[in-house]
Amino acid sequence: MTSPAPASTTASTPASPALRAIEATLTRANAELPALAPLLAAFGPLFAARARLRETAPGWTGPLPAFDAERFCQGVFVLAQMEHGQGFQDMSASLPQAAQHLLPVMAASFPALADELHSLLGAVESGELAPQALAAAAFGQAVAVPGVSAETLAFALSELVRPFVERQAQDLNALTKDVSWRQSMCPVCGGAPGMSVLRRIKDEAEFIQSHGGRRFLRCSCCATEWTMKRVSCPACGCEEPDELVVLHDPTRPFERADACRRCNSFVLCLDTGDMVDVPDVDVAALTLLPLELQAKAQGFAPLAKHPWSEL
Amino acid sequence: MPKAFLIDTTRCTACRGCQVGCKEWKNFPAVPTKQRGTHQNPPDLTHYNFKLVRFSERMDAAGKVTWNFFPDQCRHCLEAPCKSGASLEDSIIIDKDTGAVIYTEKTVKEDFETIRSSCPYDIPRKDPKTKRIVKCDMCIDRVKANLLPMCVKSCAMGAMNFGDRAEMLKLAAQRLVAVQKEFPKAQLCDMENVSVIYLITDAPANYHKFAVADASDSTQGAPGMDRQQLLAGMFEPLRRAAKQIQG
Repeated sequence: MTSPAPASTTASTPASPALRAIEATLTRANAELPALAPLLAAFGPLFAARARLRETAPGWTGPLPAFDAERFCQGVFVLAQMEHGQGFQDMSASLPQAAQHLLPVMAASFPALADELHSLLGAVESGELAPQALAAAAFGQAVAVPGVSAETLAFALSELVRPFVERQAQDLNALTKDVSWRQSMCPVCGGAPGMSVLRRIKDEAEFIQSHGGRRFLRCSCCATEWTMKRVSCPACGCEEPDELVVLHDPTRPFERADACRRCNSFVLCLDTGDMVDVPDVDVAALTLLPLELQAKAQGFAPLAKHPWSEL
Repeated sequence: MPKAFLIDTTRCTACRGCQVGCKEWKNFPAVPTKQRGTHQNPPDLTHYNFKLVRFSERMDAAGKVTWNFFPDQCRHCLEAPCKSGASLEDSIIIDKDTGAVIYTEKTVKEDFETIRSSCPYDIPRKDPKTKRIVKCDMCIDRVKANLLPMCVKSCAMGAMNFGDRAEMLKLAAQRLVAVQKEFPKAQLCDMENVSVIYLITDAPANYHKFAVADASDSTQGAPGMDRQQLLAGMFEPLRRAAKQIQG
């Protein structure tokens, strides 16, 4: 497999900060972890294509849904507060065009799936698979597409809707600003965290500043980030030092898997507190695959899986 | 992408965490010293102290006492006079990615006094054991590994900032505006020419006589090198070469 194409090469406009971060993180990861080069080459262009779609996605249209801060503080996330539980807004109108952009990138990245992905694209372009059916299939409704397996369809469509979901979540997350959220599920969509990040927050206060960075959990569904107590298991709330295990490679101290012996779960963690340039979190999650495998080998289960988790 | 520091002295409490962090990371031994009636210790930069928090206490005509703190270090000049003053091409190099000015082992062949006098900030020191000329290297080993320089990591007050130059210039401009509300004389030192930008609230000479390259406007007539002397130093290698050609 060839090394990944620069993330910005297919964009006609200058690379955005998100694309530049993806490109820089891929370049660094390829240099530091040559064993992961095939994986980076496969997923890197997909991350870049998703980022480009996210930047042009419409976001939440119309007024934001009603939000009750008191219910939110009690653990009712934003989408669960909607009257009829509609979830994210219908994005089907954007999907055919997005499929034309994303599916060829995926076909080039995953040659073993190329035939199925081309069949899927053909079904979308011919109208055989209507946009509404495309969206319904992406959110779990059983839809059969000739020549495409259920697994490939689920993988392709989840990647297809992800940029639109993430963009809508950015708008919805504005509702939760300055409101306390202490749950381990996503405050916007209720998804499970697939990743965590320690971020050093620039504090304008004239006091001694924290060096460790705050812990943010990142939703595996909509990429929303929210703060969580650092020394605790997000799955069961355990705070016993003897039960909490940190798996890490001594040569890469900023990467770790935070595991819990009480509930046998783990969440990957990237410590950016000492970093000059904060990496793209999706690419960073890919570079944490060795730790993910190590945690699983020790009997721990992830709170949420990545597309590459079963490779 | 070139990197830069912003050292916001208005946030510095002179805890000397940066000074100690630098020594620890470089694994430098303690330097014998003695009490001189000041917290500034050791008195000056040494071959084992690439970073030094300078303390400057003064009283104005009205009897108001101010105590200025200045975490002194190499400025990593964009056009480094020390490199221009070097006789060898690769004794002093500039890392293209970061802009760090790095002294290599070949500095043993350089004339120390020439290199030191070419620096408008009086930074270079000579290691008497190795004979190498030494100074801050921007923690190039850490920065290349995407880690913050040790002095920045150690700063508990947020005085030390490090990142892309464009980002630091933007931050510097924002902080200058905020600080000038209380301190109208606040300024950013030599920001066009260096990678280590200091935000100060008082006249440069009230921090350190080499706080800026040209301290000729200081109220105390500081003996810092002025621009004319600096440029003269930059042409010294040409003069030396001419002398060698002439025999």
